[in-house]
Amino acid sequence: MTWSRNAAVYAGLVVLAVVTLVPFGLGLLTSFTSARQFNTESPLSVPSPPTLANYLGLGDAGFGRAIVVTALVTAVILLGQLTFSVFAAYAFARMEFPGRDALFWVYVATLMVPATVTVVPLYLMFAEAGLRNTFWALVLPFMFGSPYAIFLLREYFRTIPTDLIRAARMDGASTLDVIVHVVLPASRPILVTLALITAVSQWNNFMWPLVITSGRTWQVLTVATAGLQSRYDAQWTLVMAATTVAIVPLIVLFVAFGRHIVGSIVVTGLK
Amino acid sequence: MTKPKFSTLFVGALALVMVVLLGAAVLLGGSTERAGKTVVTVRLWDEQVAAAYRQSFDAFSREHPDVEVRLNVVAYSSYFDTLRTDVAGGGADDVFWLSNAYFANYADNGRLLDVGKTLGQDAARAWDASVVRQFTRNGVLWGVPQLTDAGIAVYYNADLLDRAGVDPAELDDLRWSPDPAADTLRPLLARLTVDAAGNRADTPRFDPARTRQWGYNAANDLQGVYLNYVGSAGGEFQDGDRFAFDNPAAVQAFEYLVGLVNSDHVAPPASDTNGNGDFSRNQFLQGRMALFQSGTYNLAAIADQAPFRWGVAMLPTGPKGRVSVTNGIAAAGNAASPHPDAVRQVLDWMGSTRGNEFLGSGGAAIPAVTAAQPGYFAHWAARGVDVTPFFRVLDGPRIPAPGGPRFAAGYQALTPYFDEMFLGRRDVPGSLAAAQDAANAAADR
Repeated sequence: MTWSRNAAVYAGLVVLAVVTLVPFGLGLLTSFTSARQFNTESPLSVPSPPTLANYLGLGDAGFGRAIVVTALVTAVILLGQLTFSVFAAYAFARMEFPGRDALFWVYVATLMVPATVTVVPLYLMFAEAGLRNTFWALVLPFMFGSPYAIFLLREYFRTIPTDLIRAARMDGASTLDVIVHVVLPASRPILVTLALITAVSQWNNFMWPLVITSGRTWQVLTVATAGLQSRYDAQWTLVMAATTVAIVPLIVLFVAFGRHIVGSIVVTGLK
Repeated sequence: MTKPKFSTLFVGALALVMVVLLGAAVLLGGSTERAGKTVVTVRLWDEQVAAAYRQSFDAFSREHPDVEVRLNVVAYSSYFDTLRTDVAGGGADDVFWLSNAYFANYADNGRLLDVGKTLGQDAARAWDASVVRQFTRNGVLWGVPQLTDAGIAVYYNADLLDRAGVDPAELDDLRWSPDPAADTLRPLLARLTVDAAGNRADTPRFDPARTRQWGYNAANDLQGVYLNYVGSAGGEFQDGDRFAFDNPAAVQAFEYLVGLVNSDHVAPPASDTNGNGDFSRNQFLQGRMALFQSGTYNLAAIADQAPFRWGVAMLPTGPKGRVSVTNGIAAAGNAASPHPDAVRQVLDWMGSTRGNEFLGSGGAAIPAVTAAQPGYFAHWAARGVDVTPFFRVLDGPRIPAPGGPRFAAGYQALTPYFDEMFLGRRDVPGSLAAAQDAANAAADR
């Protein structure tokens, strides 16, 4: 009975895994297929011969630069967001000042405002400031912390025993010392979680870079991939090569931090 | 001296990393602009044409050492969305490509340079008259014609015609008509459509669920297919800027096309073609479609990829003659550009034979400066392809390319009705009436 039940569960899981993984497999296969073969044979046919032309063609489409720009944007936002969110969350969790809780809830309430609502005002602000199509336009809206990050960190910081912080204070630690020596080491799981969420979401960010940049100078990966589709040709073989390249860093992150990602689901309740 | 605390060092290290990253960004965005030069930016959506423009502007810079032209290639999929925001936000390029469907809004709002005033009223004489007409609104020309699509024609697979015993010369005399006695297209398509068992569509044993080879692409395709049918039925698609396709001639044209798909089964079902603009072309390239009606924009792909013998024939004639649409692309000058004199020089170059002929030499696009076109013909003649059907069809009557200030909104509104109509889920007259109301309502909003 148990054996047959397990078999049914495994069969179900295998089917689900196939349904999830086959699109990735097809994408990978297509990325090694020549445009001619893709257009003249069934899209499911095996590449014969396999070609690297699509990957090499990405260079002509400005993909190398887009990878560097995306990596730089992600790194700056990641660093900025972690730093500023930690400071803000510590202030909201552990420091006493008038109106602290009211300010916190007003700030967190902005989580309810969809990002699309702020696109036009943000665009106008950056255009007026002469920052359209610049690196600053890509990073400034995201690098000073986010309501979600501050909320997540604040809740975690509040679970750190007050006695620990008091003890540090009695030893003469300043606020910065407390954050660096006590709070940060005690908050490693949530910091890794936040870093992963930030890195993945910024790596995949599409709408804001599409709106605020034009041309190749500050083109990010997602916009470059969408740009591969021309007016009369969808160029699927190139698009699949581009998406394969784009997900490699995310796969590396997953392999390196797999344990923490599972932990982060427990910490944040995210799925 | 006391040693700095670890926490201070930690924050200092973070700041240092940030400075290094931002320094890298500054280096990455470093401009190569040389002092004393005016930079004119040109925005377009086609990478192949951009390569030709680079050669053209290199030649321009040799004659105008004080002006540097930079190209800004933006993907077609997002081109008109980002252009709209950039023009509104004052961040658009000095010169930008526009298609007929999108230029009216910019012209009406004073965003474009008047070409007659900028380059002189006589300048337009050197350019393809149909493209000049498309970009003229209220008597004013709003763009320097750059490319023309010529007309629509029919690509044929010579191997499949041979197998069906059809002489390619027969194709030039094909006629579509709602009257079966006068219709020669439908019977021919039935001969060219074959199921998996080898039965032709004009035989009783033909199984439409297992079609191996299609006769034709009677698809929901504005430029390549249905606009030409509406025109050759004597109907109209737009009246000025208003959508006006709910007329008896257009009903006749769409009923014929939808019939080819859903009654005769000689064209792929709309479930395959509605959402995939490449489907018909790829069926043709795969040797699974005998006739493929389209424009010169698919010529390079077919010439490079078709693994069979092929050719180009004239568009079928309709009840009111052989009618094609033609489309063009123009380069518009940004009225808000901070250096109008340099923009004038660049536009003047783009509209000259020497400046424009680079675009046709690779065979990917047809220059809109008439004297620059021989390079295009020479390219295809050297490859043994007769492109004259795309041009000969324009000797006859034409249906105007659709456009207007709110065309994009209207077209988006009519699309779901047309999708349902081609799927055979809604009748043609009802669909056209509802689609026209929806399109005009969306355009008025």
